[in-house]
Amino acid sequence: MIAKKQKLLGIAMVLPSFLSLIILVVWPVFISIKQSFQNEENQFTWDNYKYVLTDPMMVNNFKYTMLVTLISCVLVLIISYALAAYLRFSNSWFSKVISRLYFIPMFIPGIIAIYGFINMYRDNGWIARFIGSENMPSFVYDIKGLVLMNLWFNIPFTTMLLLSALSAIPGSVIESARDVGAKKLTIFFKFILPLSYNTLLVALTFAFMGIVGSFTAPYLIDKNAPQMLGVSMQQHFSVYHELGQSSSIAVILFLMCAVVGFIYIKNMMKNESHS
Amino acid sequence: MLKNLKQHTKKLTITALAGLTALSLVGCNENEKTGDSVTSEEKVKVSLYSTGSLNVQNFWEEVIPLFEQENENIDVELVFLPAGQGGQSTMDRLLAAKKANKDSGVDIYEGGLEDAIRGEEENLFEKLDESNIENIKNIEENNMKGTQNLAIPYRASAVVLAYNSDNVKEVPDTPEDLYKWIENHPGKFAYNDPTTGGSGSSFVISTIYNQLPAEAMNIQDESIMKDWDKGFEILNDLEPYLYQEGVYPKKNQGTLDLLANGEVDMVPAWSDMALEQMNNKLLPENTKLKQINPGFTGGPAYLMVPADNDEQEKEAAQEFVNYALTPEVQKVVIEKMYGFPGIKWGLLDEELQLEFESVSGKYRLFNGGTLGEELNKRWQKEIAN
Repeated sequence: MIAKKQKLLGIAMVLPSFLSLIILVVWPVFISIKQSFQNEENQFTWDNYKYVLTDPMMVNNFKYTMLVTLISCVLVLIISYALAAYLRFSNSWFSKVISRLYFIPMFIPGIIAIYGFINMYRDNGWIARFIGSENMPSFVYDIKGLVLMNLWFNIPFTTMLLLSALSAIPGSVIESARDVGAKKLTIFFKFILPLSYNTLLVALTFAFMGIVGSFTAPYLIDKNAPQMLGVSMQQHFSVYHELGQSSSIAVILFLMCAVVGFIYIKNMMKNESHS
Repeated sequence: MLKNLKQHTKKLTITALAGLTALSLVGCNENEKTGDSVTSEEKVKVSLYSTGSLNVQNFWEEVIPLFEQENENIDVELVFLPAGQGGQSTMDRLLAAKKANKDSGVDIYEGGLEDAIRGEEENLFEKLDESNIENIKNIEENNMKGTQNLAIPYRASAVVLAYNSDNVKEVPDTPEDLYKWIENHPGKFAYNDPTTGGSGSSFVISTIYNQLPAEAMNIQDESIMKDWDKGFEILNDLEPYLYQEGVYPKKNQGTLDLLANGEVDMVPAWSDMALEQMNNKLLPENTKLKQINPGFTGGPAYLMVPADNDEQEKEAAQEFVNYALTPEVQKVVIEKMYGFPGIKWGLLDEELQLEFESVSGKYRLFNGGTLGEELNKRWQKEIAN
């Protein structure tokens, strides 16, 4: 009886998220895929994909999106890893302060952060007032600004993930390695990196998916062309009213994320079968 | 830390669950409400679908309570979709409901003339004339042209030049003067990305159609697209002299922000937006407005009444449109929204008329229908790069 009740409770707890997933995600995805193969008369066509994959403007947008995403992901991982390693292995008061402060950006609403960023970095913004606007490189309406903004959005969460992975490495492993005379670099490459490799992959997946489909930051900070795919998709949808074309951009974006997701899942399964 | 993370995830999951549950509850609530309005007879509920910038929303939030005070049996619900966030979906909704022969739930619709024209083939909107809306007689006759009585031009606004009067001494009078000014003051002029806001779009449209005969603005045939070349050439030539050698900020507000913080000295802007922000001190006091000749495009905003309403909703909707054309509401248009009134100037106070002298120069109406989208596409391909 109790077991049955618990079972029902379990289902009742899962049901809201399951239903909302079906209604809010699966169904719209299905409609988008269908729409991406339709022309204005709702007939089957490949034209949307032909346009999205061959039009010079769209090809540039794809290249640009990949460029921004790769640069941002690499920088996010390097900076976050360094930060997480510092927080894990240093016991100074400074590291303690930082460990309490580093996730603050997660609690600042995105749009407010972006406008703050613009005021800080624009050509006659706060920084320009200190260093003189002639010494100020252009950040706003430039790829540099967009990458910086992506760092702001992604470093805290990535650091959190990596820090939990590094914290899980027992101190005894490192100490015993040190006792038998392993150098710092050897310890890092033989122990720390392999033991945190999986989490690194998880962090990369999250950062990639967040950045590749981002809209608000590139919309407000980036220049007009080439565009990130999120911005281009919105433009095709609500400015040009090209439902089919915007749907096909969405599907391709989805496939890009699916590839990364697949690599991640495959790796996870490989590791599970090993252990 | 790992434990921390786990706790975090737990909390997040719980919050997300709570949020979703709340969402589904809200959903139910709404259903109940609509069900209610069908059964209750004493109060008629009508939905007004509107789009635009924040000032439009503020305007309705001011006008609707005034209307409800005078008409206690009518309850107006505002459904506001900010510009560029799917205003088109309201038209799609109307068309879909028409096809399915259902009530769209849209009882009053604020939109552009192109919507009225698009709806004409499908008989989407009701014909409105003095027999059902008495105050139509107040409207400037010129504005009623081309509406075929399907849409009521209840207010208007135009794009004008907004400039910093401390730095700009020779204010351009004509488009040619303006282009010369831009070339002589590199980096000091910006227009916003025309796909994101009407003021930049007006600059682009005006530049292109200034090279064509005046009637061209009413042509909706695609054959005119090849005549755009000359205008696009001008836009291309201007690019190196624009803000950051060709950066087009997003949205109407983007360029106004640049003017406000002094990065540029001149921008095209909606008269109503600029006046409102000057009045609220969001733009510095040295900001001035001017219409050039021939003027930028502008135009009326229209109210339409979908034909799928039942008798009660229809009467309430008509009552509302009629109310929008009274001098009281028109005063709100001018004072709160800084828009041009939809009714004859003569019906308003002289003081109000004086206030608008600087911007009331003649604006032009672009009536190219879906050509506007084609123009945007070409702009994105040729100029944005």
